[in-house]
Amino acid sequence: MRVGLFIPCYVDQFYPQVGIATLRLLEKFGCEVVYPPGQTCCGQPMANSGFGHLTQGCNDLFIKNFSSFDYIVAPSGSCVLHIKEHLHGADDAAAAIRSKIYELVEFLTDVLQVQQIDAEFPHKVGLHQSCHGQRGLKLAQMSELMAPPFSKPERLLKLVKGIELVELDRKDECCGFGGTFCVAEEAVSVKMGKDRVADHLRHGAEYITAADMSCLMHLEGILRRQKSPVQVRHIAEILNGRS
Amino acid sequence: MNANNKDHAALADEFNKDEPRVDWHDETLWWVRQKRDRAAAQVADWEVLRDTASRIKDNVLSRLSEYLQHFEAAATANGIVIHWAADAAEHNEIILSLLRQHGVDQMVKSKSMLTEECGLNEFLEEKGVGVVDTDLGERVVQLAGEPPSHIVLPCIHKKKEEIGEIFHEHLGTPAGNADPQFLTHAARLHLREKFLTRRVALTGINFAVAETGEFVVCTNEGNADMGAHLADVHIACMGIEKLIPQRRHLGVFLRLLTRSATGQPITTYSSHFKRPRPGQEMHIVLVDNGRSTHLGRKDFRSSLKCIRCAACFNTCPVYRRSGGHSYHTAVAGPIGSILSPNLDMKKYADLPFASTLCGSCSNVCPVKIDIHEQLYKWRQVIVQEGYAPAGKRAAMRAMNWVLSHPAAYHTAGKTGRWVMAHVPFTVNNGLNVWYKQREMPAAPKQSFGEWYKKNRRDHEQQR
Amino acid sequence: MSSKDKILGIVKNNQPPLSELPEVPAGGASRGAGDPSSGENADLSAAFTTMLEGIGGQVFLVSGYDRIAAILREQHPDAGRIVSGCPELASFGEISAHYDDPHTLENVDLAVLHAHFGVAENGACWITEDQMIERALPFITQHLALVLRRDAMVADMHEAYTQIAKLEETGAGEYGFGTFIAGPSKTADIEQSLVLGAHGPRSLIVFLLDEGVSDAGFY
Repeated sequence: MRVGLFIPCYVDQFYPQVGIATLRLLEKFGCEVVYPPGQTCCGQPMANSGFGHLTQGCNDLFIKNFSSFDYIVAPSGSCVLHIKEHLHGADDAAAAIRSKIYELVEFLTDVLQVQQIDAEFPHKVGLHQSCHGQRGLKLAQMSELMAPPFSKPERLLKLVKGIELVELDRKDECCGFGGTFCVAEEAVSVKMGKDRVADHLRHGAEYITAADMSCLMHLEGILRRQKSPVQVRHIAEILNGRS
Repeated sequence: MNANNKDHAALADEFNKDEPRVDWHDETLWWVRQKRDRAAAQVADWEVLRDTASRIKDNVLSRLSEYLQHFEAAATANGIVIHWAADAAEHNEIILSLLRQHGVDQMVKSKSMLTEECGLNEFLEEKGVGVVDTDLGERVVQLAGEPPSHIVLPCIHKKKEEIGEIFHEHLGTPAGNADPQFLTHAARLHLREKFLTRRVALTGINFAVAETGEFVVCTNEGNADMGAHLADVHIACMGIEKLIPQRRHLGVFLRLLTRSATGQPITTYSSHFKRPRPGQEMHIVLVDNGRSTHLGRKDFRSSLKCIRCAACFNTCPVYRRSGGHSYHTAVAGPIGSILSPNLDMKKYADLPFASTLCGSCSNVCPVKIDIHEQLYKWRQVIVQEGYAPAGKRAAMRAMNWVLSHPAAYHTAGKTGRWVMAHVPFTVNNGLNVWYKQREMPAAPKQSFGEWYKKNRRDHEQQR
Repeated sequence: MSSKDKILGIVKNNQPPLSELPEVPAGGASRGAGDPSSGENADLSAAFTTMLEGIGGQVFLVSGYDRIAAILREQHPDAGRIVSGCPELASFGEISAHYDDPHTLENVDLAVLHAHFGVAENGACWITEDQMIERALPFITQHLALVLRRDAMVADMHEAYTQIAKLEETGAGEYGFGTFIAGPSKTADIEQSLVLGAHGPRSLIVFLLDEGVSDAGFY
């Protein structure tokens, strides 16, 4: 199957290792992966700021770059959710894209149906449930609903040798990044991030992982400011065996 | 903006200056969220119940004019006098005129967020009418000269020591006494005297039943009943959206309301008022105040299903860390952020942005309002209507241009990373809001795109 | 144009297309399978008791009104003015069909009233104004006691409203005012500390009447 790799703009610029890990991981599971070089961004930062009407340029570019693939996969729940909900275009091309775009964890679980992962990560890891992936893409059950628990990222992580997932006090509270919220409401954003970090630290996490690098970028900013030895790793990096 | 022209971000910033206090506020309300979870888990068909309530309310909105007329007819036949108020001013005037008719200048009031929305207390005080709020939390904030910060727990932002001081000043309790039991008892005695001496009582309405013309008022304290059953005149105020079609629908809503609000299976009192007491006058004021307009907004009308439980407040990580007063509106929190812009888009333009769109609110809402989706949609409307700050507009246009042009994007990215790596102080300084409390991400030498081009050239995309 | 006409006009214009009413649960999901005789309702009264005791009420299973009077004397030895809505307790408290002015009930220490039925899922009792003597009484009294038949129990609020409709049909439960009472009045407004006794009664006792119950071991 031909997979178009969609790398969120901030991952492209600041966390290329996450893109590399995603690429390698998909290839390990037999995908032919292509990265269209003309891609830029899904348009979410503008849309979430109320400027959805400006995103047609981004939308058109996205459709142009990704129409030809069997699947489109991105290591980002929020970007994928945004495309699924808000990508519109003149013809059926947009609808086609919306139907074949997947976030990495859901792709590994639902399409590739991964049952084994050849990776080792002998550390204590806290899993941060990025909101858009969890509540939007249903990557894991949310604590608000009276419904059976499940977690796609947790299941995959447990396939990694030596990993120890820590319990958290608040399993799915938002980290506070929220796009432009992170600077527009800086005080609340940082406080939310600090509280998430404190939860992980209280439970002995050595690493914090998530399916969204934006959350981790925010938490890492706080960890580094606190001079904490705790590091962040995108789930793609752990599943791909980076230690 | 509020009177000081401060928006949610500025007010939240002030709130966050006292971090231990934010922790206390956050943990208290998270605890209420957890109580809600425990209570909901005990109801076998909780999610079905939410869906049922949601669809009942959808039906109400779709037949609202009919139900309103039916309700008026049924209530009138029961001996209740119905009044219609197009807006807050008219609502206030109606109540004033009822008071004047009875030659009364003192009134007791139980919790009604609608009256808060209409500014009733201030209006009546100006006209020389004394209003005593009888819900304990509301009495505390009334004595403190503040608005409530939460629609169910009005003084959740106040510590018991502060309440002790307020009671010491106004009720004469001993200085330094902060014991909740003692303070509550003092309030009981103080307010009992008011119940016994006031001839007019005003209450809110939790649910009004179109079928029978009756209405239900839910309290834990019994203050609505103490006021109403001792008064010569009982005035009940409701927003026109608070109807439900049939009495048996109360079974659905009463099972959801208090569990969602506080984690209790039901309030101590769920009082059904159908007819006035012999010799008593009972009045209902039906209030529009923008609701009929809101009903016409296709994307936003479902927020009128709200039963005012505040579950969305308690679960909202932003509300918990900014407090109700940061929303500078009668009904705060997530639901307030999608209701208020309808009342005044300019004044409340900041509220839909006071959110990370995490989606927790929509999933605790007992009537399944898609709150987080409406927050997103309000942002689009607010910007289109011209209420976005000019600087933001310019920045967004620039961002859009760059992101629509791959070459420009690559250049901007490369340049940005070079600056961050080589002249970090130009980025890591007081002008950079991110940098106030967070380190910037490290700037890698290569972007993913550059790495791919260098290392995977043979996998060039075929167009 | 009146405000009413103005409002209704805009509402009619703006209301969304018809959305059908859903099915409302009949209730009783929490009942076990079994026949609706006293066996099953005994189960409900146990659930009711647990619920009400958990929210600060007291429940006593009694065989008759003598037991009720005895327990009340024990629980409220200092009660001054006692008002009874139960003719069976005529000697226990003052009995009156009506009070002209509810304010005169201000000094009632204890009121004993009948209620129609209890709701197992939340420990609430449904009581209508004909049982209250005056509407103010169950609120203004310092302490409240309610008397229910033990088998007058429903599982949940859905069944409650079915029962209310049934009572109305027989004429017994027609009301101008009725209320569910679930425990003593309370508040948690001060830092979420639960305090029993806000503006309504400071305590609630519910008596479940079952003539078949043995008195040995109870109270």
